[in-house]
Amino acid sequence: MAGLQLRHIRKSFGETHVVRDVDVEVAEGEFLVLVGASGCGKSTLLRMIAGLEVPTEGRILIGGRDVTDVRPRDRDIAMVFQSYALYPHMTVRENMAFGLRVRGAADADVARAVDDAADALELTPLLDRYPRQLSGGQRQRVAMGRAIVRRPRVFLFDEPLSNLDAALRAQMRVELKKLHQKLGVTMIYVTHDQVEAMTLADRILLLQGGRVQQCGPPRELYDWPANRYTASFLGSPGMNFLPARLDGDELQAIGVDLRVDAALLTPEAQNGPVVLGVRPHDFRRKGQAGDGFVAARVDVLEPMGWETHVHLSVANASWVARFDATDAWGLEPGQNVRLFVAPSAIRLFDPATGQALCGPPGDDGAQQAS
Amino acid sequence: MSMPSGAALRRVASFAAALVLGWFCLLIASCVSRVEPDVVVWHSYRGAEASAIQHVVDSFHQLHPDILVEVVPIPYQAYSSKLASAIPRGNGPDVFLFAQERIGAWSASGLIQPVGQDVNDNLLAEIAPPMLEACTWEGELWGLPVAFKNVALFYNRTALSELGGSPPTNTGEMIGLARRFNDPAAGRFGLVYQISDFYFHAPWIFGFGGALVGDDGLPRLSGEELSASLDFVNSLQNDWSLLPRDSGYNVVKDRFATGNALFVIQGPWFLGELTGVDFGVVPLPVVSETGLPARPLLTVESAFLSGHTLPGRRADALAVMEYLAGYDASVLRAVEGRQNPANTRALQDPRVALDPELSPFAQAGLQGVAMPNHPAMQVIWEPANRILEQTLRGDRPRQEILDDAARDLAIALTPPPPPTSPMPWVLLMGALLLSFAVWSVIRARRVGLVARMVEQKWAYLYIAPAAIASGLLIFVPFFTGAAISFFAHENGEFTFVGLSNFVRILTSSDFGFWEPRSFWFTLAVTVLWTLLNVTLHVCIGLALALLLRDPWVRLRGAYRVLLIVPWAVPNYITALIWKSLFNFNFGAINHLLGVFGVPAVDWFSQFSTAFTANLVTNTWLGFPFMMVVSLGALQAIPRDLEDAAEVDGASKWQRFRHITFPLLKPALIPAIVLGSVWTFNMFNIIYLVSEGGPDSSTDILITEAYRWAFQRQEQYGYAAAYGVLIFGVLLLYTRLTTPKKSAEDA
Repeated sequence: MAGLQLRHIRKSFGETHVVRDVDVEVAEGEFLVLVGASGCGKSTLLRMIAGLEVPTEGRILIGGRDVTDVRPRDRDIAMVFQSYALYPHMTVRENMAFGLRVRGAADADVARAVDDAADALELTPLLDRYPRQLSGGQRQRVAMGRAIVRRPRVFLFDEPLSNLDAALRAQMRVELKKLHQKLGVTMIYVTHDQVEAMTLADRILLLQGGRVQQCGPPRELYDWPANRYTASFLGSPGMNFLPARLDGDELQAIGVDLRVDAALLTPEAQNGPVVLGVRPHDFRRKGQAGDGFVAARVDVLEPMGWETHVHLSVANASWVARFDATDAWGLEPGQNVRLFVAPSAIRLFDPATGQALCGPPGDDGAQQAS
Repeated sequence: MSMPSGAALRRVASFAAALVLGWFCLLIASCVSRVEPDVVVWHSYRGAEASAIQHVVDSFHQLHPDILVEVVPIPYQAYSSKLASAIPRGNGPDVFLFAQERIGAWSASGLIQPVGQDVNDNLLAEIAPPMLEACTWEGELWGLPVAFKNVALFYNRTALSELGGSPPTNTGEMIGLARRFNDPAAGRFGLVYQISDFYFHAPWIFGFGGALVGDDGLPRLSGEELSASLDFVNSLQNDWSLLPRDSGYNVVKDRFATGNALFVIQGPWFLGELTGVDFGVVPLPVVSETGLPARPLLTVESAFLSGHTLPGRRADALAVMEYLAGYDASVLRAVEGRQNPANTRALQDPRVALDPELSPFAQAGLQGVAMPNHPAMQVIWEPANRILEQTLRGDRPRQEILDDAARDLAIALTPPPPPTSPMPWVLLMGALLLSFAVWSVIRARRVGLVARMVEQKWAYLYIAPAAIASGLLIFVPFFTGAAISFFAHENGEFTFVGLSNFVRILTSSDFGFWEPRSFWFTLAVTVLWTLLNVTLHVCIGLALALLLRDPWVRLRGAYRVLLIVPWAVPNYITALIWKSLFNFNFGAINHLLGVFGVPAVDWFSQFSTAFTANLVTNTWLGFPFMMVVSLGALQAIPRDLEDAAEVDGASKWQRFRHITFPLLKPALIPAIVLGSVWTFNMFNIIYLVSEGGPDSSTDILITEAYRWAFQRQEQYGYAAAYGVLIFGVLLLYTRLTTPKKSAEDA
């Protein structure tokens, strides 16, 4: 049985359409990440799942039960907020116990559930403190503890790591993943950070302007983006783009001599203007048989230590290449270089619609797209 | 627009400074170059009377061009206290016009000087003897009568002729005609006047053969004649319903002006209010039972010579006074100012004698009884009014009412406590001040205060204006008031009595512990008042705030503004409006109750209903403040918390109880403390709505303090002691509530 089903969900505020036709089925125990830039509608979507907003159209089903008209507290969900939303006048113990208490649970049950959750999140020494006496990471765990205690059917996370510093964020990502593995509960997670999306998700739902751009496992969105937006969103540094002409399997543009793998082209791909995309990771200093190349001028080098980002000019475009530190050795600003790209690493997009013109081999090159 | 440059700002600032400086110079110059008048005259007239005085002075000036007279009108409410404070300091007038009732007190305190020796005998012969008598005290003439005022009987001429009657000459006739006209259900009343005001009742006392003073010259409220007069008015109101309940001046005016009253008892000031009514005026009728005329109280307005007039100015001042009382000026004042003059020659002048409006009042007045001028007479009003109210309510036996009044009179006439030596107190204060000074110096030395102050002199300069203002406006009056509480005041003199005032108040030596006007009863009423009010304010304010913050309430901007209106309207206006809403006969509330079949309630006749009336009015006034505080505090609660609580499973009520309310408390508690303090001292509502009634039972501590100071023979020391006690109670209250707050903080 599906953990969560969203059927043709739409949401508008007057004339403003915030969510346009989202239709997705989440399996029981799946970790779905809603990702997108600010204002894409992901938080609104999450709030509709929670019941804090009412969809203008569409149905929401949790565990097979239609909950579109059901109040949040009867939907069997728990939510972790970006600001943690801990009750400042209650201790950690009271915060975690609140949900069970207002539902009239027995004291013994409440105490046991709170102790179990505190144990799982290593909060036991903090149980009698007030939120203002906790650090950001501790508060985050209390918020999660408060959600866990109720053993809901669906967990909702609204950008829970946004307020933490980078190191803590990395740590908490791991904690979250472990938690999911341990509890096996359906989790819907909203973030604008693609790293979190990539690392945590079983599936990613990428939204832009209220529309679903692509929905699928992270690997799929990364390797086979269905459109230019998806391609540019995932991956850091982002994919490099250049307008070119496709002629058979050759791509023609100034300073570019590249070839595509014809087996990867979709039926829609035709000779004519296209937008080609190359990920910064796919450049090689030494070419291999079958590789094409781009002629580029090095502008700026960003040595990170373990890798170097090389900012280039290709034709009139600004591109970025990413090399391991050793591979980048010898590159100087102002230098003209040739960088090689394997045909299988090239992605093509329709210049007008942004649709991908490449797909994984097999089937007929069809890919998941909305 | 970009910020103006520093140079431009400096220029503007110096220009403004130059303007202000120039204005100051002009002001000072105008003060200095003012021509000093020879005689300064004060009065509290308005309208036609005031312009008549000005004309009199102008014609005086034509006769005496070398004497410059300045006339200064003073608002009536402030008049007597201004006189009492300005004259001894030499800032007062040389001559002033006032009623004669305070002569006894003023002569004792030296505010006025006798004029009998210096006034022209011919002039004295022209003045009606009863008037001169009224201005005589302890054998001397202290003022020169100028005019007199008294009440008379007004009648609706059209209605009277419809009844086929003529103006009544005795009470039997008057009542007969009134009863024929009377139709309370239709709002028509036979005889409308301010029946529970002693000023209007006095004529009946005289008509039944009674008097206001005993043989010892002290005020008296007892005797068969008084009882007979009380029976008389009781039958007017309760047996024959000749007049509406709660007949205040506005009701009287309204009934007569709309043709719904046959007879009205009022004074000459009423003439100006009547347009469009065909009316006549006759003297009050003779009391049928005794054959004696109902003689009105006479207010004799006189010219007085200030006790501090410099000898060089005395002759000129007397000349002005004589002219004011003389024939020419009296006729002018009668014709223009519509005042009946005390000068009999002027009264006989055809222009006055044949005036259809003035002559009936004159006829009545010449039979009148002048207000006794013994200093103790002022205390008669409160007990006398109380007798009338209780008689008309009919809920107590007559003898009890009269006994209480006699007791009240005795209390009001008690001499102040014996003076005690201030020495122990002076020594104590001196010791305290000295040790405080020493401690301050040591502390300041240790902390290096002077050096720090010099270093931060700009900071101190910035707070200096506010500190000085606070000092002058708050601390100085406070300490002065506290100091006064150790004194007793009589006739302008303060005597040191130590703690006697406090002892008297706290041991409730005059009244039983649980009687109205005792400190403890009043304290209990005040606490109950504060508790109920604040509870209602908070509940209503909070409920409305919760309602108005939901985004789905349309037009909530409009609601918010509308709900601030009760707070924005000055609260004494609110009090007066609500008072009229609670009027027994004409109030909207009784009317509304009638629509639902509930019998009309006499709101101000018992404690519970009068208290409720006050409570309703003050609640209407007070909830917007709590609503605004709650709205602000609610907006400070993050939306997320309520979302989280909702997802956690809390119902609306649970959310309010566990999340919203605890987070509101830090904001509400200071508001509640403030609101309590304001309500505890809410003078306006109590004073104006229930007027402290019935029988001072709804008075709170602060209205009691006011009455002791201004209604019960100026017992300033006693009232100041009340004030100190009020301060003490509130200080204790705020001390008790503050520590609780800091625990909830953060």
